[in-house]
Amino acid sequence: MTAGPYAAAADLVARSAAAFVSGVPENPADDGLFGPGSVAWRVSTDLASPIAALRSLLMQALHPLAMAGVDQHSGWRRDPVGRLAATSAYLSTISFGERAAAERAAAEVRRIHEHVHGVDPVTGRPYAATDPALLLWVHAALVESGVAAGRLFGTPLSPQDGDRYVAEMVVAAELVGVPRHLVPANLAELGRYIASVRPELRCTPAARESMAYVLDPPGLDEDVAAIWQDIRDGAIAAVPGWAREMYGYGAPSLTEDRRTEIRQALGVLDAVFVGEPGVLEARQRLTLRVRAERPA
Amino acid sequence: MKKLAAAAAIGGAAVALALALLRRRLGRLRSDRGLAALLLALRGGVRYAGNAPRLFAAAGEHRERLRHDLALQTAEDVAATLGTMKGVLMKIGQMASYVDDGLPPGVRRTLSRLQDSVPPMSAELASGVVEDELGLPPDLAFARWDPQPIAAASIGQVHRAITLDGRAAAVKVQYPGIAETVAADLGNVSLLRRMLRVTAPSQDVDALIAELRDRVLEELDYRREADNQQLLAAYFDGHPTVHIPKIISELSARRVVTSELADGARFAELASWPQEERDLAAETIYRFVFRSLYEVHAFNGDPHPGNYLFHGGGRVTFLDFGLVKHFTTDELRPLMQMARHLCVNRDPEAFRRSMEDAGFLRPHAPLSTETIVDHLAVFYDTIREPGALTITEQYASAVVRRFFDVRSPVAAYVSIPRSYVILQRINLGLFAVLGKLSATADWRAIAEEIWPFVQGPASTPMGEAELAWRARNRAQVTMCGP
Repeated sequence: MTAGPYAAAADLVARSAAAFVSGVPENPADDGLFGPGSVAWRVSTDLASPIAALRSLLMQALHPLAMAGVDQHSGWRRDPVGRLAATSAYLSTISFGERAAAERAAAEVRRIHEHVHGVDPVTGRPYAATDPALLLWVHAALVESGVAAGRLFGTPLSPQDGDRYVAEMVVAAELVGVPRHLVPANLAELGRYIASVRPELRCTPAARESMAYVLDPPGLDEDVAAIWQDIRDGAIAAVPGWAREMYGYGAPSLTEDRRTEIRQALGVLDAVFVGEPGVLEARQRLTLRVRAERPA
Repeated sequence: MKKLAAAAAIGGAAVALALALLRRRLGRLRSDRGLAALLLALRGGVRYAGNAPRLFAAAGEHRERLRHDLALQTAEDVAATLGTMKGVLMKIGQMASYVDDGLPPGVRRTLSRLQDSVPPMSAELASGVVEDELGLPPDLAFARWDPQPIAAASIGQVHRAITLDGRAAAVKVQYPGIAETVAADLGNVSLLRRMLRVTAPSQDVDALIAELRDRVLEELDYRREADNQQLLAAYFDGHPTVHIPKIISELSARRVVTSELADGARFAELASWPQEERDLAAETIYRFVFRSLYEVHAFNGDPHPGNYLFHGGGRVTFLDFGLVKHFTTDELRPLMQMARHLCVNRDPEAFRRSMEDAGFLRPHAPLSTETIVDHLAVFYDTIREPGALTITEQYASAVVRRFFDVRSPVAAYVSIPRSYVILQRINLGLFAVLGKLSATADWRAIAEEIWPFVQGPASTPMGEAELAWRARNRAQVTMCGP
């Protein structure tokens, strides 16, 4: 294992903001993979999306092979914030970018993945980032986290919209190389898929270490750090009990007051986010497109 | 500054949140006079007054233009935009921007960005609020109603209208649900408390939050602002140069406030006016501030350039009464004593004693009275000696610098009692406005006219006109304190 020191997380918000802005086009030629009427847009712009992102990392990291790939190849330890920002920029492009931009971004990811392979030091199993099984896990964790975080802390999706969201997102998995027929296309399939992977999941030292980092990133400005506690508790509350047990985290109590507090923290974080250059304009571009789509 | 900051118990909540919000620029603020400015300005009855009808050019001050294309169409849109602390943060941001002049440009930009993020209401949504509040939709409550707002207000917007009896009116309409949303967010304060502990560990956090909650909730009730405006409009009724738009009570309620519409030149336009005009405008502003203070026992805490409309000949319309502080006779007495002992009786020891009585100066401070006068008399520079004097921008910024001078030998012994904090807007705001006008007058002579303990003769033509106005009004005006 390539144990090395982690870089500090200063600028986490600023770089996430820049990543978001980079994916939102000024005068798009088309609506991209989802479009303004999609559930995917709603989920991506939901107040709870920072918790969804964190929850998604918590889930993804539990797959030893996926975790090993990140840990051994991505410059994660050297520049964790940069790595997270790259992911955010990718997701922003996939979600809001033109179709061509989304395809370019996905092609770039597939290209990088070709060089990512090795042996997981914990299980001794070989892995390759092009393996559809790993890609599918990463995809499913992301999609399920959007639903779960929204349900607890954002705007919950109706069961129909939840199904629609899962179905809409299939294309994202396909783009990075998962055959369509393998990708869950509704909530029930998604649940069954996640249950089926569960026996393979475990909290490796790399997972423990990297999640300790994202849950409590060193070097955050103290004011943001105060809010981050809430985001972290929200994410931990939103993962399934079995996942919390793998990590050894206690279940945060989620009283109605505590839930309100976490939502408030999301609001404050969002205000900070909007203060970053370009974020407001990017949001406004998206809002106008959504408005144009709404029936009058 | 430590002393100043420690004295500034209130508004720490607002400050802390503004700090949290602006955290990137705040490394500076914390060690900068900006923090002291914020703490002071936010403390003690200070509310940002940007939500009153600043007509016409008003929208341009914080927003490039109203984004009608992004208008909030439903109460749900309002909740999404201003819920989960956004409304609270916005109010706090506005409170902070109230001390504009003390804030670094980066902070100002970020605060206005926060305001920019809130679009106006759609015509239908605004109309619904008017109907809820007045019982009739706007096109029935008014003879004419302009569905396009002319200005943004912090938690609402301003529409033009003509009343049924034919008066042109400015109608401020509050976002629906905002009061409930903000109240809910301020009802669950554990996040706020935690953020405050990080940013303002030395403060009494729960008291700060309570004060913040009171202030914000109070501001959400437009009736209070209407009362203040009415009080001052009644006092200045018939004044030769001071004009305050009358509140139209029957068209005002908790979330809607209607006043007579006023028009006039904006502050920026005065730059091209002859200096005599600028001097006259300054004289009116000066008289307005001190007549309000000494005779109505009320101080409009927001002498912001955006709150005036100018008509020439010294005539000025005063807008925006969201931030009015009332004083009791007991609170005013020491202020008068200070001016009297320093400027009229020229008795430094008595000046010192009255500062101690008022709580500005710690008793038995190991400082010579000479040192105290040396350092604090700058605030009285314009009125210590008779004769024409020009208030320059340099003077105004010297006052601000002195105010926040931590290294001053008196800094450790000076504090601002809570009920006087808002008056510091005279030092920080009024002089800034007069300085921008490079206004010349015999300020001392005007002060003597107004000082109740002197009641000097009219010193200018405007003073003569004021005398006549006072004579006319004396019989009918009954001034009541708070």
